[in-house]
Amino acid sequence: MQESNVVNITEENAVALACGGNPEAFSFLYEKNVTRIYNYIYYRIGSASDAEDITSRVFYRAFGHINSYVDKGVPFSAWLYRIAHNLIANWHRDNLRRKEVPLEDHLDLPHKADQPERMLEKNQEKILLMKAIRRISADRQQLILLKYLEDLSNAEIAQIMGRSEGAIKSLYHRALIALREEMEEIGYKSE
Amino acid sequence: MESKMNDMNNNNMFGLEEKLSNMLKPVMPDPVFMNNLKTKLAKTPAILIEKSKRRMGILVVGAGLFAGALTVWIISKLKKS
Repeated sequence: MQESNVVNITEENAVALACGGNPEAFSFLYEKNVTRIYNYIYYRIGSASDAEDITSRVFYRAFGHINSYVDKGVPFSAWLYRIAHNLIANWHRDNLRRKEVPLEDHLDLPHKADQPERMLEKNQEKILLMKAIRRISADRQQLILLKYLEDLSNAEIAQIMGRSEGAIKSLYHRALIALREEMEEIGYKSE
Repeated sequence: MESKMNDMNNNNMFGLEEKLSNMLKPVMPDPVFMNNLKTKLAKTPAILIEKSKRRMGILVVGAGLFAGALTVWIISKLKKS
């Protein structure tokens, strides 16, 4: 895949070109989406190495099936999220025996200005929050991550998840309630 | 009383939303990984044929049945002679 020479290419153009077998267009779509897909997978499974592996599979699968992609007027990322969602489900199925995912090795590096105790506290808080998130249902996790990682609106999330905006609003409310219950169950103490 | 409970609920929700937005920050994937994947994708032929596990299963069962039938046939031939 060479560097894209097309300067003002839009996503629609890139998708159309990529469907026709243009590798530069697929490269453009890859660069536009790889970070968000990686983030989504990373937060869903909690392991950087597995997130890289699944991200690779998402793009290989997308590349292999790009000819059969049908543009339904939703963002291209919606298709990638769907592939990622299915591969994550397979990953969880294959890893059923593994009860706990190591969380400590993939936390953000603390800011230098933070005090050690505060850093530990923050990390501990994040571990528990992530633990609680991974205990709620897959669609609720997807919604929470799209909303907070991607900063997407309900309308955009609705497009990606293939639901109505109203359904997303109500799913969001239920997701927060479920998350709060899970947090209480695992002993997360709010400040 | 009910409105007080609702207020408490809403406050908790807002607290939770604030926590989520403070803690869920995007992370950058390893640039080496991103470049390697980009290169590998570029070297991959445009049309990929995914191996079908089902087809492989049918082939294995078929081969097994064939081998079994062949063995039975050879044994019956040997017995006759």
